Amino acid sequence: MGKIELLSGNRAVAYGAKMSRVQVVSAYPITPQTPIVEYLAESIAKGEIDAEYIHPEGEHSAIAAALGAALGGVRSFTATSSQGFGYGYEIIAQAPSYRQPFVMVVANRTLGWYWSLRPDYSDSMTARDLGWIQMYVESVEEAFDAVIQMYKIIEHEKIQLPGMVMLDGFYLSHATEPVNIPDQSEVDDFLPLKKLLPHVVDPSISKTFGDSQFLSVVELHTTYRRIFEETLERAKGIIKGITKEYAEKFKRDVHGLVEEYRTDDADALLVTMGSMTTAARRAVDRLRDKGAKVGLVRVRFYRPFPAEEIQNIVQKEGVTAIGVVDRSISHGTWKGPLALDVASALYGLKDKSNLIDFIAGMGGDDVRIEDYEKMLNKLLEATNKKSICETEFIEHRVKPESPPRLYKNVLRAPGTNGCWGCTAVLNFRHVVDVLGKNTTYFFPPHCLSVCHPVMANPRLLANFAAGAGYARGLYRAYKVRGSKVRVVTVAGDGGTVDIGLQSLSSAAEAGESILFICYDNEAYMNTGIQRSGSTPLGAWTTTTPTGSGWKGKKETPKDMLAIMIAHRVPYIAFTSPAYIHDMKSRIEKAAKAVDNDEGLAYLHMFSPCPPGWRFHESKSVEIARLAVLTGTWPLVEVDHGMFKLTYKPKELLPVEGYLKLQGRFAHLTKDDIGKIQEFVNERYKGLLALDGKKLF
Amino acid sequence: MTSSSEEVPEIPLRRLDVLATTPTASWRVLKPEIDYDKCTNCGLCVDYCPEGVISKSKKVSKSKKGPIIDYEFCKGCGVCANECLKKAIRMKPERW
Repeated sequence: MGKIELLSGNRAVAYGAKMSRVQVVSAYPITPQTPIVEYLAESIAKGEIDAEYIHPEGEHSAIAAALGAALGGVRSFTATSSQGFGYGYEIIAQAPSYRQPFVMVVANRTLGWYWSLRPDYSDSMTARDLGWIQMYVESVEEAFDAVIQMYKIIEHEKIQLPGMVMLDGFYLSHATEPVNIPDQSEVDDFLPLKKLLPHVVDPSISKTFGDSQFLSVVELHTTYRRIFEETLERAKGIIKGITKEYAEKFKRDVHGLVEEYRTDDADALLVTMGSMTTAARRAVDRLRDKGAKVGLVRVRFYRPFPAEEIQNIVQKEGVTAIGVVDRSISHGTWKGPLALDVASALYGLKDKSNLIDFIAGMGGDDVRIEDYEKMLNKLLEATNKKSICETEFIEHRVKPESPPRLYKNVLRAPGTNGCWGCTAVLNFRHVVDVLGKNTTYFFPPHCLSVCHPVMANPRLLANFAAGAGYARGLYRAYKVRGSKVRVVTVAGDGGTVDIGLQSLSSAAEAGESILFICYDNEAYMNTGIQRSGSTPLGAWTTTTPTGSGWKGKKETPKDMLAIMIAHRVPYIAFTSPAYIHDMKSRIEKAAKAVDNDEGLAYLHMFSPCPPGWRFHESKSVEIARLAVLTGTWPLVEVDHGMFKLTYKPKELLPVEGYLKLQGRFAHLTKDDIGKIQEFVNERYKGLLALDGKKLF
Repeated sequence: MTSSSEEVPEIPLRRLDVLATTPTASWRVLKPEIDYDKCTNCGLCVDYCPEGVISKSKKVSKSKKGPIIDYEFCKGCGVCANECLKKAIRMKPERW
């Protein structure tokens, strides 16, 4: 008869997906969504669910793979946030047109604002016009429910559209609340396995498929947009039915498109969404206790938009002032998207209520009960007025504190946020010292960008997939202006070998004279140790966990040396923080190639990571040295095509000594270690054969 | 309609000529201490300190030069002690 568990929002979502018996999971790490797919990876590794797990190189492919799986007729799942949402937007826009349902969960986080990690709806709001079913949840339990309900809704034969479930990043994704978890059999009863659609993309069983050529007939486009609109209109009744069925079956209080709270006879009404509603409820309680006629409506399903529900409440209760709380803004209109929708819903009414839009909680700013009390009081004042349509920004002014120690006219100052024994920080400080003042750095997201190295060079955030793109533009600007400043992109291994690869490849092929540095800690460490294309064979990560089915990463890492050689760039070097002098001379040579305008120079810096690789922080350099001495990380240079092993140990040490020091390899058996040894030997042999040869 | 934003600059900017930074001493659990009798002033710890807070070759006594640890920023990771060839750096429990 079910159970109650304490779950974080992310875990509840993963639980919901698991109990929905998802068959394909495809996702890419991004804060604050990452734990969802970590939990699902864990469930698959433990054999709790029988599902395929896809590790793509970025959200563009991750969402495409989820859609691809949906096309193939299985129940597929993906999750993202913020910039990842932005990167996958092209697929998000494409997805509804195939009419093949799948669920995407969005742990909301600000889109396109420096390093903001906290929530507002600027990410998911960009998709409100595309034809997705969109639901915003208020609690952890509702997040769990939403996933299961959403599959049933979108797989309904009269809908067949993708569905998006939104939970506020951190406030919900990382908050822990009790969740009533039904038995699997009850969920199976509510949500049977996915039925194959007649238009499943499979020529062995289906006679049709969604024909994009047909859909692109210009004259029919408007017609299909109307059909979409009618489908979404039809969805309203289906959503009400399904959520009611769920609420009755699993004893939940809330169902339907909206939730009303103390709206009886209300003069003033707040319209809210998501986790911010909870504080608003308390403000309503406080004012109701004083006798004020206030209430709130929470929009659960934002698309299709519950216009009639809002109209009905306004008319039934005689509401004269409506306050909309918008956690995003449609710049240039002085309104948030929710207010625009509410205003449009009210436009047809004979007696229009006064409307105030409260822009609040941007970038995750906490909106307190007192803030809502002020909003409600302002609304109560407005109840006696006419034709009010205003906007108010709920701001909490703080004065940013300046760090206490000041260093003047230096290249670099101490005081990073790097973990103890971080070799990315170690590598980078030598880079800064060697390259000097006239250098500008681009940082796609990685640990170093949140470590905040204190330096006298401009350091700009580049988007993940565009590390080299930003750099080549700036390089051309300097060229046009005759400015002698070097442009450097410092990317992590994910930002180089995975999501950043096409941007790097294009800049390398085009001969842009920029310096591209990959610091390689062999996983996505900034988001918390997820597998990358650079993760070595057998390594545990949170998305290649160990369990009955999995034994760490099954594949060997991507060979960036070969990839860069294939681009014939003027300078390539692989360095180690255990060999500082070697490293410094490689940085100098790379800088020289760039300064002489010879083309792209590439440095790949080995960066052992104590928390991610599970070793004591004092061993960072020792492990880096062992990697070189065992042949796991050969020091290589390719200088204008001349291949050279810059350090050749007389005899390689066995890899076991290197692996044994790291917890991420703790699960490996003798046989597994033997396989890794074989791979290392073979690779090293190949490199020795190239030593001293001119490759291009 | 909105309140003014007078106190915040329209475009947030960072200075390059003055670097403002926050000490990280409070991160430290173990404190490295250099035994200058054993230290040969080789500079390995200076190179390997991840945070770059060991400065090289300063006068540490009348007749001796050696590295100096900036305890305001040292996080106590212990890489210096682990790498020192002469075992001249010991990690001692920090007493705050």
